[in-house]
Amino acid sequence: MDTVVIVIAAYNEAKVIAGVVREVVAGGYKVILVDDGSRDGTADVARQAGALVVVHPVNLGQGAALQTGIELALAEGADVIVTFDADGQHHVSDIANLLAALKTNAADFALGNRFMGGAVDMTGTRRLLLRAATIFTRLTTGLRLTDTHNGLRAMTRRGASHIGLRQNRMAHASEILHQIAASGLKFIEVPVTITYSAYSRAKGQKLTDFFAILIDLFARSLQR
Amino acid sequence: MIARIFLTVLLSGVLLYAWKEYRLSPVVAFLSVLASCWGLYFVWVPEHATELAHLAGVGRGVDLILYTWVVISLILLLNLHLKLRAQMETITLLARSIALTNARK
Repeated sequence: MDTVVIVIAAYNEAKVIAGVVREVVAGGYKVILVDDGSRDGTADVARQAGALVVVHPVNLGQGAALQTGIELALAEGADVIVTFDADGQHHVSDIANLLAALKTNAADFALGNRFMGGAVDMTGTRRLLLRAATIFTRLTTGLRLTDTHNGLRAMTRRGASHIGLRQNRMAHASEILHQIAASGLKFIEVPVTITYSAYSRAKGQKLTDFFAILIDLFARSLQR
Repeated sequence: MIARIFLTVLLSGVLLYAWKEYRLSPVVAFLSVLASCWGLYFVWVPEHATELAHLAGVGRGVDLILYTWVVISLILLLNLHLKLRAQMETITLLARSIALTNARK
């Protein structure tokens, strides 16, 4: 029986995090919540809801929080690690689909795909930006994916050991794909459903974030 | 002549800086070397700067030298940005180490 650990990165999510953690725990999964320097008591709420909580002393960004969670999950003996969003837009039922896809296909990465599954209440602007991100990823990594900025993904222990995120902020979603491509390990896309709410839309990426991502990726490409 | 020597010293300083920064970012170092060599050439052969400026449509050769200086400044600014990123990575490793140590207590 594989030990599955769900890693959730959260920043000021006290309003919704209890519900998200309880739902995942009720699904039979162990949760590691990385509180990325929240000031609204997110860590306490998540701890009470049943998560193992690790707290960044300062806000570093989602990429940094996910890397912390992945490292802790590996140290805790996880066989499979699933990254899951804190804002309630992911569905716990999709985790089982990702795990099954890893096993069935003997893959090391299962990447959630909202365009193969469903994207409830997604705005037209977001759809357009995600399409642009997909084209950009194809050009820069050669990976033929159709949903490149989906936070719902599963990876085996072997896969996770190839991931070392250095992009602290939102560019980590592209960086992880670069690292998957570089690892040469097998990956598959799995249909998942993302349900957008007014809350998740407000917390989600904006047009300016995409320019920040491009600048971050460019700056990173100049570094050793 | 004084201006030439002054600019030569400044641009040579940029060259030394580029050599020192090679380890952080070879691309930025290469661009700095390119821009400062370009600048040194114009300082010592200004008539070529004027000819090239006419060709490029920027007017006087001194304008072209000024533009070269602006390019060097931008490259140095980019290098500063990369240094800040490198520092942020160090802070991240430190914060992560603290967080993971506290989580295991």
